[in-house]
Amino acid sequence: MGLKPILTKDFGVENLHQFGVYERTGGYTGFKKALEMQPDELVELVKKSGLRGRGGAGFPTGNKWSFLPKGMYPRYLVCNADESEPGCFKDRYLIETSPHQVLEGVMIAAYAIGANLAFIYIRGEYLPQYEALESAIDEARDAGYLGKNVLGKGYDLDVILHRGAGAYICGEETALLTSLEGYRGEPRLKPPFPAIKGLYGKPTVVNNVETVSNLPHIVLNGADWFAALGTPTGKGTRVWCISGHVNKPGNYEVENGTPIRELIEVHGGGVWKNRKLKAFQPGGASMMVLLPEHLDVALDFDAIAKAGSMAGAGAMVVMDETTCMVDAARRYVKFFQHESCGKCTPCREGTFWMANVFDTFESGSARQSDIDLLLDIGYNIDGRSFCPLGDASTWFPRSVIKYFRDEFEQHVAEKGCPFKKQAVEAVA
Amino acid sequence: MALGQDTVDRIRASAALYPSKQSAILPALWAVQHEQGYVTDEAMGEIAQHLGLPPSLIEATASFYSMFLLRPEGRHEVVICVNAPCMLRGADEMAAHIQRRLGVRDGQTTPDGAITWHSTIECLGACGGAPMMQVDHRFEEDLTPQKVDAIFDRLRTEPAPHEAPKPKKAVAVAPVKGEKVRSGAEGARARGRKTQK
Amino acid sequence: MAAVQVDQVTVSVNGVSVTVPKGTLILDAAKKVGIDIPIFCSHPKMAPVAVCRMCLVEVEKMPKMQPACAVQVAEGMVIRTKTDQVEKYQKGVLEFLLINHPLDCPICDKGGECPLQDQTYQYGPGASRYIYQKAHFDKAVPLSDKIVLDRERCILCWRCTRFSEEISGERELALIQRGVHTIIGTFNDEPAQSNYQGNWTEICPVGALTARQYRFISRPWDLDRTASVCPGCSMGCNIQIDARGNKLGRFQSRENLAVDDSWLCDFGRYSFPNFQRAALERPRIRRDGKLEEVTYPELFEFAADALKRAGAPVAGWASPGSTNEELFLFQRLMREVLKSPHLDHRTAAVADTSPEDMTLPIADIERCDHVIVLGGQEVIDAAPVLHLRLFKSQRKGVTVHKVGSGEGKAALDGVPAEAMVVGILATQANRKQAAELQDQLARKVKGSVRRLIVSIGPNGRGAVDLGILPHAGPGYAALNGQSGKARWDWTHAGIKAFYLHDPSPLHAYAPTEAEALWLSTLPLVIHHRFKASPLDDVAQVIIPARAFTEKNGTVTNMEGRVQRIGRGIDADAVRDNWRVFQDLANQLGAGWAYEGVNDILQDVIRAVPPYEAVNRGERVLWAERA
Repeated sequence: MGLKPILTKDFGVENLHQFGVYERTGGYTGFKKALEMQPDELVELVKKSGLRGRGGAGFPTGNKWSFLPKGMYPRYLVCNADESEPGCFKDRYLIETSPHQVLEGVMIAAYAIGANLAFIYIRGEYLPQYEALESAIDEARDAGYLGKNVLGKGYDLDVILHRGAGAYICGEETALLTSLEGYRGEPRLKPPFPAIKGLYGKPTVVNNVETVSNLPHIVLNGADWFAALGTPTGKGTRVWCISGHVNKPGNYEVENGTPIRELIEVHGGGVWKNRKLKAFQPGGASMMVLLPEHLDVALDFDAIAKAGSMAGAGAMVVMDETTCMVDAARRYVKFFQHESCGKCTPCREGTFWMANVFDTFESGSARQSDIDLLLDIGYNIDGRSFCPLGDASTWFPRSVIKYFRDEFEQHVAEKGCPFKKQAVEAVA
Repeated sequence: MALGQDTVDRIRASAALYPSKQSAILPALWAVQHEQGYVTDEAMGEIAQHLGLPPSLIEATASFYSMFLLRPEGRHEVVICVNAPCMLRGADEMAAHIQRRLGVRDGQTTPDGAITWHSTIECLGACGGAPMMQVDHRFEEDLTPQKVDAIFDRLRTEPAPHEAPKPKKAVAVAPVKGEKVRSGAEGARARGRKTQK
Repeated sequence: MAAVQVDQVTVSVNGVSVTVPKGTLILDAAKKVGIDIPIFCSHPKMAPVAVCRMCLVEVEKMPKMQPACAVQVAEGMVIRTKTDQVEKYQKGVLEFLLINHPLDCPICDKGGECPLQDQTYQYGPGASRYIYQKAHFDKAVPLSDKIVLDRERCILCWRCTRFSEEISGERELALIQRGVHTIIGTFNDEPAQSNYQGNWTEICPVGALTARQYRFISRPWDLDRTASVCPGCSMGCNIQIDARGNKLGRFQSRENLAVDDSWLCDFGRYSFPNFQRAALERPRIRRDGKLEEVTYPELFEFAADALKRAGAPVAGWASPGSTNEELFLFQRLMREVLKSPHLDHRTAAVADTSPEDMTLPIADIERCDHVIVLGGQEVIDAAPVLHLRLFKSQRKGVTVHKVGSGEGKAALDGVPAEAMVVGILATQANRKQAAELQDQLARKVKGSVRRLIVSIGPNGRGAVDLGILPHAGPGYAALNGQSGKARWDWTHAGIKAFYLHDPSPLHAYAPTEAEALWLSTLPLVIHHRFKASPLDDVAQVIIPARAFTEKNGTVTNMEGRVQRIGRGIDADAVRDNWRVFQDLANQLGAGWAYEGVNDILQDVIRAVPPYEAVNRGERVLWAERA
């Protein structure tokens, strides 16, 4: 348990983003080894490794690959680099520090599923990271790792780097595909699932940046090696983003199963300004809040779910005792309102309504009954909206009402934010 | 203002790159914004022509995404994130400082036309370096009032990125052999990423 | 052909068991047993999108409620549409839809026939808890010269944008912006050009898209509805005439899958003001150069005398906008009573249609593997709703070749020899070319080749079938050398009197220069017409006629389907057109005793037996008879 740099083990190496440097650290040997294997063997290897998707849902990667219908070509591999979850900045870190590792992972995944064309969809705001990947792709092409007859092995592969333009929803895999096809990034009905009818109506696999970055290591070191890391249902490591009220925010790759306490208190340097921990959020903006009593829960999909939240994309947002939980929830609700694509009624109208109600808590005009109104609006969104964005918009605020209802009542009683008042009094 | 030949070439190259020409809409919009600084209806009409698609489709797509500027703004775009992780580390106070320093409100442009600033609730992916902002799509993290002031002083005299002598490559186009742009990746290095011990 | 084997599945909806074909949507399975699930975005002609979320229902073993409009039934599925959860949620989603809706029902044209209004009453909450600022949008946006858009009323069901993409393929309407700020609109707010915009107003489940012509005209409950057929062209799209008193309100579509597939074009839909009567006129005669009003008995006496005085030969023209019953009596009047073979209905000098011109039924376009549209846009302009059928066919995989009128060769080369079902569409002007192309294709391809010629006017087809021609009698009967002169030759045929039956403003008699001169010199012109026209000046007798919307009868569309039109407007003071023919004939000694259009229709069927198809709403099958 604890820090376990696998993806990030060479991240201290100067100029790792350069092709030559990456190769000297052993880069692309995983891809070369993969090319010596049959695609089916690779699928089995990844299945056996127990690797689960790092984008948020935690679906087993090898299984996802094996859903592609036999004999249907062309098929596409799409790497989801549309990282936009508030609290999450690990994919950015993986891309800018080691773009070739991401690319190598994409190449292995593409080969495993039999795709001759792969896409990397990177969020529009990540311009330097876009440029890093663009250079990496050019270098790999120059080196014969991409293009016709890759490394003389009779396999053709090219990678198209596609830049988004500001839409959180495009992180949802069907919306990502819609966006990649040039349309508004609205999610699609499932079924059919992308494995059957994905990009351009063809069988498609969508894998996250961190997921594919694991692949070169799994191919090189074997499924058993990977499966020996982490927990029984959460193999390997994860790159956790820690932010908020800690002394050392940043990315830390830790073995799955490490206690949350260690991430916050040791790697994150503990709560800043010698304050007390009030709450934390283990999966980014979408996920339910947890309390200090949950500090000993393990960093693991299943353990966190059991505690009443979700690991999501691996973003730990830490809040100290001075945090106004109502305001934190208000920010997230406003975020979801801003990012709702508008396709379905509950999400489009419900997030707008919730945001309006939250503003009244801030402005001081909220009524006692508005706390239950928020819960009721949430009830009519969660599980009713078209895609998980709507559902997720309700999780954090509802969990905050569950654990910090008194703060909402205080906002009503004091006609405004008690925390802001405190701050003003302190200054005065 | 008709699109420049270089932009038209980029749009056509993008159309040829993807299995479906419609996929070239976002690259085309980026190419236009890169050349002109924003995207006019006229430009959308031109994109539609070059891609052989109905113009309504271009507008539908362009208006969906938050990064396309549909009207002229200042030479430099400054965006500060005020979502929760940034708020926890003083983003609101930093936004207040920006407003005081620039003398214009959220969403407005300084009278000299140098800077348009706005706050966004959309996470920009730098929670570990909060408070943060993006200046012309480049990250500026661990902001302090002094750091912000220094950045603004620089921007006051710098040309717009798309008018700079050596334009940064910012659009997905068919890779051209021999053309290499490394500045971005090296730039990323230069800004001291958090690395674990 | 053996019956198609379809896998059936049995499911339970609210405890009622129902067996439906595999692939049926929950919505339709429930409907089959009379269980109504509220919807907004779902539309039977469009692929499910499940965006409005109104139709969520409980499905056993599924953790979340499911959209009934998008989820297909599976064997053994247990569906519940009336549980506490469903009903609480229905109130919730309607409350959501209304938070940014202006609730201006009292001044909204949709009020009274608005699904949002109706479903709010039926399933919605009694009151809203929304006390905050609404999102505001533009109201009364002129989307085109036909349509006005209220962006505040829009609930973003995507029906209109999907119509623009899936049904007309024009992709003119699109969603713009995102989230709660999403609106619908055209590119750069330019005026919409589509010829199918009226359909947007009909499928809009709220008052967002309304017709400018109908703006603030009437409440739906004040309208009388009459089933009829569109008078615009020979397509024969089914319509409903909505009128209030003697004022036409609008034409609405009335689904006939075989003909219009539930759509109308704007040309036809918005043609209704042409049929609006200005006044209930009385007949007039010209005595000593002056027109004077007379009673009907005086009229017929005068007209009969005038005809006798003028002497033979008499010529007669009847509009292709007349009904079969009118045309049948008209030709009897001409042939039997006035003993004249000089009758015509044609508006342009083009080849006549024949039964071979309707061997391809409209709905069969979808079943072809190749369709040639000879003349391209000309054909669409002549019958605009054909475009929707062609686009639908294309989406189903039919290859449509649109070629110019002189490019039959290109079309011939474009169809591969292995084609099995080939269709040709052309206007009457290109009839000969189409027939030649059909012969050539028949020699080239493996399968069958059929054609469909767009005839002229809502009953140009019937006019030919019933012999409103100088060279053929009813049912294409040969005249054994007794042919009369065609319209073009009347100017120099020594005609003494002219009966002009012109009840349709859309398919009126438009005289050439030579004809105008000829008319001014004729001793007797009887002008039986709907609206005043310059030709009144040369008429000695002016008989008011009933318009398309004021009478009962049948018309025959381009594919030979005989359909009933209905009297949507009360014009009792104006004598029915057929009765005018009968009264004049009787004044001339005929002794007819028809009591209504149905009597005449029976005679039509006796004279032209294939017309008994009218009793089944089917097409007249000449070819099979031959």
